[in-house]
Amino acid sequence: MNTQDQNGYMLLYRSDEWYNRLSREELQKLMNENSAWMQRLTAQGKARPGRALERRGAFVSGKDGRFVTDGPFAESKEAIGGYLLVDVETLDEAIALAQSIPSLAYGGSIEVRPVAEECPLEARACELAREEQFATV
Amino acid sequence: MLLFRGNDWIKGLSPEEKQKVTDQWMTWFRRLTDEGKAVAGNPLEREGKIVSGKNRVISDGPFAESKEAIGGYFLLDVASMDEAVAIAQQCPGLPYGVRVEVRPVAPECPVATELKREAEFATA
Repeated sequence: MNTQDQNGYMLLYRSDEWYNRLSREELQKLMNENSAWMQRLTAQGKARPGRALERRGAFVSGKDGRFVTDGPFAESKEAIGGYLLVDVETLDEAIALAQSIPSLAYGGSIEVRPVAEECPLEARACELAREEQFATV
Repeated sequence: MLLFRGNDWIKGLSPEEKQKVTDQWMTWFRRLTDEGKAVAGNPLEREGKIVSGKNRVISDGPFAESKEAIGGYFLLDVASMDEAVAIAQQCPGLPYGVRVEVRPVAPECPVATELKREAEFATA
């Protein structure tokens, strides 16, 4: 697998609302750990934009987007609570970063995904076009 | 934020269809960018890992051929959920089975919000 990537990685935070179960002291401790972690990442030039997502929203599906349905975004352990883009060169490095995320101690998981150079659809279309070209040579 | 879910729908398409959807998708993103409604967007590779729990266990994810896997995202700058949903309804992948998750971006980290709530409760 090619682990070199110039476009960085996306860390997707997946969890339910575990922070509702923490005490004020635990929350404060985690906030401090979090900001220290972010500051370190920023100082190393590895942090790119990231945001938290609200625990509400909609799913749009079907032809012309005719189906619009609610979550679940709050209670599902798989729900995405936020994302962070990181500027590192290898998947291993991105995984190591994900492993150092302080909130993992309380639950949830981090999905680590390489950002694509181009749309995989487009890449596949180019590949097919090249194949056709070769076939006609 | 629009999250495009589903990575398996492309398999059954002919090269012409693939090209068509790709072009439509790119045109759509360019138009939203020109209108100032899309501020960022990226496809994600069909690979990756999941890190979970206290022990930071690394596992493979079903990113290649899953209906739920996220294939990419757009970050929109629009004023309402309705407007975001209306944009999601224009997604060219919808007829092929793509689902678009539409989520408001939070003003701050939910842990900070929870902390404030508890502080207010404590002083009430």
